Amino acid sequence: MDSTSTTTAAEPGSQSTPSQLLFTGNGKEYFGIWIVNLLLTLVTLGIYSAWATVRTKQYFYGHTLLDGHRFDYLATPIQILKGRLLAVGLFVIYSMISSYFPLVGAMMAFALALLVPWMINQGLKFSMRMTRYRNIRFAFRGSYGEAMVNFVVLPFVSIFTLYLLMPWVLKRIDAYIHSNIRYGDKPVQVQLQGKEYYAAALLVMLLGILMMMLLGLAFSLVGGININPDELGAVNFGMFLIVPLYLFVISALQGIYQALIRNHILNNAQIDEVAEFKSTLAPQRYALILATNAAAIVLTAGLAFPWAKVRKVRALAEATQVVLLPGADQVLDTAQQAESSFAEEAANVFDVDISLT
Amino acid sequence: MIRGYFYQPNSSRVQEAIARLNDSHIAVYADDECVCESSVETLQVSAHLPGQASELTFTDGARFVPLDVAHRWSFQSGKSSLLAKLESNLVLIVCALVATPVLLYALLFKLVPGIAVTAVQTVPDAVVEQMGQQSMALIERTVLLPSDLSEKEQAAVEQLWLDTVSQLDLSAQKYRVDVYRSEHFGANAFALPHGQVVVTDELARLLADNPDALRAILLHEIGHVERMHSVRLASQAAVASIAIAMLVGDMDIVAEVVLGSGSALLDLQFSQNMEWEADNYALAQLHRLGYSGEHFAQALESLAELGEEHEQSWLKYLSTHPSLQERIEHARSYTPSP
Ligand SMILES: [Zn+2]
Repeated sequence: MDSTSTTTAAEPGSQSTPSQLLFTGNGKEYFGIWIVNLLLTLVTLGIYSAWATVRTKQYFYGHTLLDGHRFDYLATPIQILKGRLLAVGLFVIYSMISSYFPLVGAMMAFALALLVPWMINQGLKFSMRMTRYRNIRFAFRGSYGEAMVNFVVLPFVSIFTLYLLMPWVLKRIDAYIHSNIRYGDKPVQVQLQGKEYYAAALLVMLLGILMMMLLGLAFSLVGGININPDELGAVNFGMFLIVPLYLFVISALQGIYQALIRNHILNNAQIDEVAEFKSTLAPQRYALILATNAAAIVLTAGLAFPWAKVRKVRALAEATQVVLLPGADQVLDTAQQAESSFAEEAANVFDVDISLT
Repeated sequence: MIRGYFYQPNSSRVQEAIARLNDSHIAVYADDECVCESSVETLQVSAHLPGQASELTFTDGARFVPLDVAHRWSFQSGKSSLLAKLESNLVLIVCALVATPVLLYALLFKLVPGIAVTAVQTVPDAVVEQMGQQSMALIERTVLLPSDLSEKEQAAVEQLWLDTVSQLDLSAQKYRVDVYRSEHFGANAFALPHGQVVVTDELARLLADNPDALRAILLHEIGHVERMHSVRLASQAAVASIAIAMLVGDMDIVAEVVLGSGSALLDLQFSQNMEWEADNYALAQLHRLGYSGEHFAQALESLAELGEEHEQSWLKYLSTHPSLQERIEHARSYTPSP
């Protein structure tokens, strides 16, 4: 562990040596945390899930080390619980209304679209405020208008271009998210290129088509063998094979796309005078990790989840270096209120995706 | 003497430091200079997590984190270490491994349907009426076309329906039948929660020569309405999605797919049970009105013959109705319970 450089960070030489991001957690410890979380959550009919979320995040943040200093997750279980109960309550009302009154439900879905930008902004703000590195909290300042354009309007418009605009929209979304993040009083800056997104999307689509064709071929061969079998047997066989295979392929494709995009974002991001980032995540390796993770989770009926999650997080950390610049010592914390987890929980419950790749 | 890092309040500055603990007083030294001191009562100690040193937060926001990742403070409350002990206790982990699937099953397959059934009883009639009308409006717009049947054929269905409803002493105001053409449904009938039953042209033609068989099908649909199956399905879906939302919190896509297929399975089982309930309702009424299960069996057989042609897809496995063969046998062997 390289732990001494920060205390003397003022010396100019330190800026050239990148620090490796470390993940020091392990699957065995997390398995214990995970299974106890699950059990207590079930026993308390979900109430404990707030404590479970906090404990899991504390475990993962606290085991992520940069330059010898760990990250901290700051939200309290009560904060999470309040937000979650409110969000679930709203979701109950929403799903009751939409299943009993489908027409009213359709109108509510429209109203929900107006709330999406707000949920995304507030959710990002909360999760940034709850992240700390060396006594400095992260922050997020996005505007409703920009979020509306990037998350709702442009994706909708791209439907009419047969999704040809979509990679560009995704680029705008990533740029919006990352350039509005702040570390204390220092903003993050990113320069993203649309062509990287188009290249990644094209590659994934071609691979996807190739995989579909191979799978189709494999299935017609399998189907050919059982010409007139006991119907149920063949069907079961198909079902048990197709779900893991589907997840395997989707995860692999997801891995390739995410790795390419993550490398692009981090390699083009910096915090002025504080840090520069380097990501060297090999797409094929990450794809293999995600795909085998998915297969392991399905084949063990979920038991491999802790192992898989640790494996993924470790791979991400291993592929990340940060160059700390001399200004890293002079960041000041800024005050930004974010006491409610409601928006983040609502985004979760209503399946509004906010992910920081 | 404990070595660690001292983090200054509201700043990214870090110093290597040493903490000295005397009884209930702690002092932190950096470069032989005291940077912070406090009595332990005013300190906040972080939660006890495996592989992470317990850090101290002072009232002004400064923090001290020991270098030794296993470090715990003598004044730390035992409460916070309880969870960590549980999480590393092998016996408990094994128990949890057994108990979790059992609890999950009980929750999703017993408690959720239980709550859903109870919730149904509290749904006001006006809501059921609205639910039916709005669903019908959506279905009509998307997959139904005006019927091609002649006036006479339509009148026959209508007459059969009125007879059946009046024989059952049900309100002819609530229960009504409509005939539509639909490629989506093929030969089929379905019931909406407020008492409207839709029969497709294909089904009416298929059973035109065997009105008693059509009556049996209509009785099955009335069974769905009488037992409030749509309302139950909706409330089941709502309760299940709440349960899953509470449980999942923040899992990734794979976990969602696994749980999602679990709840699809649940829906499937639930709706299969409903089909049996509707079948039994139809069979009981057939017997009461002086017909027999044979009529229902005939109707199912006609449908089965039709199905041979285009329902060979293996997705049929996931269809909501139990196997036709089973239902035909059940209809033939049915004897009403006294
Ligand atoms: Zn039915």
